[in-house]
Amino acid sequence: MHNPFRSPCLARQIVVLLCLASAGVLHAAPADPELIRLGAKIFRDTSLSASGKQACASCHDPAHAHAQANDAAVQSGGAALAVSGFRATPSLRYLNTALPFFFAKDGTPTGGLNRDGRAADLVAQAQRPFFAAHEMANADAAAVVDKLARADYTEQFRAIFGADIFADAELAFFAARYALAAYQGSAPEFRPFSSKFDLFLARKTALSAPELRGFALFNRADKGNCAACHPSTPRDGAPPLFTDYSYDNLGVPRNYAIPATAETSYFDLGLCGPDRTDLAARTDLCGAFKVPTLRNVASRRVFFHNGRFDSLSETIEFYVQRDTNPARWYPASTDGSVRKFDDLPPAYARNVNTSEAPYNRQQGGSPALSAAEIDDVIAFLSTLTDGYDPATGTADPARDVAPIAD
Amino acid sequence: MMQRTSLSLATLLFCGALAAPAHADDAALRAEVEALRAEVAALKAEVHGMHLQTASPATAANATATTSAPVAATNSAAPTSGARDVAASSSSNNASGGAAGSTSFWGYGELNYNHPTARAADAQADLRRAVLGFNHVFDDATRVYGELEWEHAIASADDKGESEIEQLYVEHALGANYGVRAGLMLVPLGLLNEHHEPVNYYGVERNYVETAIIPSTWREGGVALYGNTESGLSWNLGIGTGPNLGKWDATASEGRESPLGSIHQELQLAKARDPSIYAAANWQGVPGLLLGGGVFTGKIGQGQTAPPVEKSRLTLGEVHARWQPGPFDLSALYVRGEISHTQDANLTFLGQPTPVPKEFWGGYVQGAWRAVQWGESTLAPFLRYEAFNTASAYAAQPQGLGAMPLPTERVWTAGLNYFLNSNVVFKFDYQHFNNADEELGYGKRFNLGVGYQF
Ligand code: HEC
Ligand code: HEC
Repeated sequence: MHNPFRSPCLARQIVVLLCLASAGVLHAAPADPELIRLGAKIFRDTSLSASGKQACASCHDPAHAHAQANDAAVQSGGAALAVSGFRATPSLRYLNTALPFFFAKDGTPTGGLNRDGRAADLVAQAQRPFFAAHEMANADAAAVVDKLARADYTEQFRAIFGADIFADAELAFFAARYALAAYQGSAPEFRPFSSKFDLFLARKTALSAPELRGFALFNRADKGNCAACHPSTPRDGAPPLFTDYSYDNLGVPRNYAIPATAETSYFDLGLCGPDRTDLAARTDLCGAFKVPTLRNVASRRVFFHNGRFDSLSETIEFYVQRDTNPARWYPASTDGSVRKFDDLPPAYARNVNTSEAPYNRQQGGSPALSAAEIDDVIAFLSTLTDGYDPATGTADPARDVAPIAD
Repeated sequence: MMQRTSLSLATLLFCGALAAPAHADDAALRAEVEALRAEVAALKAEVHGMHLQTASPATAANATATTSAPVAATNSAAPTSGARDVAASSSSNNASGGAAGSTSFWGYGELNYNHPTARAADAQADLRRAVLGFNHVFDDATRVYGELEWEHAIASADDKGESEIEQLYVEHALGANYGVRAGLMLVPLGLLNEHHEPVNYYGVERNYVETAIIPSTWREGGVALYGNTESGLSWNLGIGTGPNLGKWDATASEGRESPLGSIHQELQLAKARDPSIYAAANWQGVPGLLLGGGVFTGKIGQGQTAPPVEKSRLTLGEVHARWQPGPFDLSALYVRGEISHTQDANLTFLGQPTPVPKEFWGGYVQGAWRAVQWGESTLAPFLRYEAFNTASAYAAQPQGLGAMPLPTERVWTAGLNYFLNSNVVFKFDYQHFNNADEELGYGKRFNLGVGYQF
């Protein structure tokens, strides 16, 4: 990879600007192994937080497919690890780091990092966790750099970015994010394609009868129709990623386990705010969240942006029974009627996708998938877990994580 | 593997039907034939050894048509022998076929209107295509031939139109009646693929069999040997690129509309690991009659493993006949295709709407009657019956998970071609489908069109 920090003839500030410009193409260039190793260390370094106990890896546990390991809807951060967050922690595997947010030709919002697409690339994304009050909660870049300068990989940092790198806090902070981006963008553990399904695609293993049935139900437009948003077929010879990186509004019920929801006026509206600010006027997008990959989904313990569900079966039941049995998911209004889509201000309820299968059904109708069919779909989704070992028939995303050499 | 029995059966049927002597004692046709013979002889004498340019710019079949002049008109739906095939080959001998270094241009175009009767809101008018072709003669033996096409009026990143090169090849005569071509060439199968100018077929739209099954305009890059004999047999053998099954999209409808049309590569950065070969022949030894057929085969996985298609082979075989007794113009065609080793790929497409078919086929019979002629103009009503199936069989899948073969689509087309002259045609027809399928655009409709060539 082109390493702008080694450019001898440019003033630091210009280098920073250049780096920012080149960050967009970071994903494409294979990174320097030294840089990846450094990034892996920063990713795991709990000393870089205000609490001294939280690293990127605390929420994005490499052994859990770089997603949260626990079943809390949201994680807590801050100096005492007591400040609650707002969204469930996504897996960092199979991110499309090459796709800053844009509107496709037909108007479909697509790409970007975070559940609302507000970060254009990994370097930009890595800024927030270091400062957010509910995450690592550092006061500023200088606070982070101060800790970097005392880490056990400090010499390596200097070797890569120059002996006096810590003299300029902004530049050093940028360098740290640059290394993090190189790690997340280039280390094989983020894209191992080592699931049973991948072996099946490569004709190295067979899927069982329930797994195959589940796969067909997942794809069928008249059943799950899941592949409409979570594509399951190879594109241009690349294995499927089970997301089209688009955004949709599923009308997920409000999760009162998130402390912020105690405030009745609080709504997490995804694309139109509050974390994302540039699309606030696009009220038609309020409530839309990014389609996540379903690779490793069976290793998760909470589901959807607000972690509303804690089992895969309940998640899929919600998909197929949201409209046939709304009373199961939403609270009753004072007049006794069901208040559907209760995690949206009433004016935005019409933004919810009610036209596409499987949620195009009527109340009292039969769900698109029966209980037995849901079991088959879960059997199939379980083949998407990384680190499959054909000898034991088990999968564990931790198997893909290489130990960090010095 | 091709279904040899059905192919040869079909051949037999055609031959049987046509075995009765062609009542080609049609005075007009004979006179025309004589005139053409004389013209060709004169030209032959005049332009020493310019065998190359006596061929129609378009095809080997036409090369035969001109050298064995008796049936020059056969390849044209136009009522007179003046369709571009012949007009071009005789006049272009003067215009372009002459001097080394000369370049001639030609072209055609068509504008269509489709009106589905049940869904008038889907009625559509389209500048279907405008084509400019050129023929540049380097010397006695060598020329370069190209066809540039624009579809749907406007081609840009934000528009639906396409701009494409349909043919571009260098041709070199090796002897009096055989030669070699290299470049992007039309695959010489069927009646329409090489003769796709609007005056050369009946009906506003090209027939379904030769668009859904033979994906007209089908072209591949490669090398071909072509030639013809005094007895009226023309032949063409080629080796080159083939379709790429690796780009099969099981989630979209294109593969159901035309299995090969959805995976042909048009020499656009074509994946070219596996060569395909083809052989085709046409016999025009009896005035008014054309009998022909061909086979195309090759591995089409192009080494792609996602989806796992690297072992898949396409074999497509086709027979056709055309007979023009008196004012009548009768034709028939049968084509069948098979793709092998589709099971593994389809296992990765379980539940998707468009798995890869194992078999697909189509056939049609068509009769036209040049009922009224006055001056340059001709009014020709026609009737065509087509049956085709783009997925008549799929490879077996685990029980309960396999896809059902598609129903066979049967289309009647009745209409009129009004040739203002041999190069300008106005068309009207009505089409009836036995299975309406909105996604694929199958449903009763009437069509209007205008086409020209020069
Ligand atoms: C306290 C838990 C927590 C910590 C610590 C944390 N993250 Fe995250 N991360 C999250 C959450 C929650 C989101 C989703 C945020 C959103 O959608 O707004 C997220 C989103 C991301 C994304 C975008 C993923 C996507 O799907 O687009 C990346 C990349 C990422 N984090 C990297 C990091 C890095 C690098 C660090 C360390 C500097 C880090 N995270 C620290 C919780 C955490
Ligand atoms: C119309 C698009 C669409 C369809 C169809 C669809 N999904 Fe989703 N899926 C999404 C979106 C958007 C999210 C994220 C929603 C959120 O975070 O609020 C999601 C999230 C999920 C999640 C949670 C993943 C996580 O990391 O939290 C699972 C599991 C899931 N989908 C499974 C399915 C299954 C199974 C089907 C078929 C029954 C399906 N999806 C059909 C758009 C879709």
